[in-house]
Amino acid sequence: MPDDRPAPAHPALALDDTVHQRVRLGILTVLSETRECKFATLRDELGLTDGNLNRHLRILEQAELLRVIKGYEGRRPCTWLRLTRQGRAALRAEVAALEQLVSRLRSATAEPEAES
Amino acid sequence: MSSTDEERSAEILTELDRLRNRTRTRTHGGAWLPALAIAALLLASIALYQMPFGQLTAISADHPYWAGLPDQQRQPVLSYVFWFVGTPLLFAATAAWYTLRARRLGLRVSWPIFAGAGLGVLLLLAVLAAVPESEVGSDALAPAPDWIWQGLLTPLLPVAVAVLALAWAERSPGLAAAGTWIALLTVWLCGTFPLGYLPPWATNLLGGGSGSLGGQLSLRPGHYLVLMALPLVVFAAVRAARTRRVPNA
Repeated sequence: MPDDRPAPAHPALALDDTVHQRVRLGILTVLSETRECKFATLRDELGLTDGNLNRHLRILEQAELLRVIKGYEGRRPCTWLRLTRQGRAALRAEVAALEQLVSRLRSATAEPEAES
Repeated sequence: MSSTDEERSAEILTELDRLRNRTRTRTHGGAWLPALAIAALLLASIALYQMPFGQLTAISADHPYWAGLPDQQRQPVLSYVFWFVGTPLLFAATAAWYTLRARRLGLRVSWPIFAGAGLGVLLLLAVLAAVPESEVGSDALAPAPDWIWQGLLTPLLPVAVAVLALAWAERSPGLAAAGTWIALLTVWLCGTFPLGYLPPWATNLLGGGSGSLGGQLSLRPGHYLVLMALPLVVFAAVRAARTRRVPNA
């Protein structure tokens, strides 16, 4: 008798295009470990140029995954970045989807070994 | 999605883990200083007691316990000044430390929660301390209900709350354990009288025989304060050593 139950969705479908990009995942990961992070620190940590980082930040800010806070340190202008609640949830969901993909890979490689 | 994509996912996860660990070590590498400062404050408060390590024949302690623990203090005013000036100074020094670190590293910690919680409970303590005082002699082994809550009007409670808030800000289970330890010792030592009082069930558990009226540990305020500060000192030493190994932390 054929099984009519729908097949479970592939974990790749849970990946979010905005978050999945490698640099943006890095940005969210760094921000998830601090209350706020300076623009220059994030740029150096990820080895990016100002323009490249700015481009990714704009996309994440438009998706309301992070907040850009502009201020001053003495007389020098300074930009701080903070992860929003949605950003934290999006990162968590993305990492969970990636972990599911990896566990599929592990079980797929373990099956032929078990058969042999 | 092919197995190559899944391999790439494993690679990304490894990379994110490395990035997360590095950022965590750098961000929270400064937690050793507030932990050590709180331990120092606790240890310095030993000087507030008349006989911090020696045995007394009789003890009387007034509410609130401005020295911290229910034992004879040198001067209540000195104890009051020590905690109500010392604790805000500690928070000010910690704030300066975190501000300097944030400027140097570009990473901020939620330290205002730590200072806010500690100062808030200290302020609450000052307000609640306006309740009329009462005195209990050393022969009173069974604490009355109002004695228990009045006994909790001690400057050690804001310290315990501040350590728990610091644990949250620094995401540290070690600090959470230290804060819980301080809170438990404070509730036990200040909610009962005399100092180190053991209820009957505890003495029975320790082999004091059934039907016991309870007992008392022969430790003095100095010993208890060392016990309170010890987990903080260990945490500070481990965290400082770990931070030294990471460049630019």
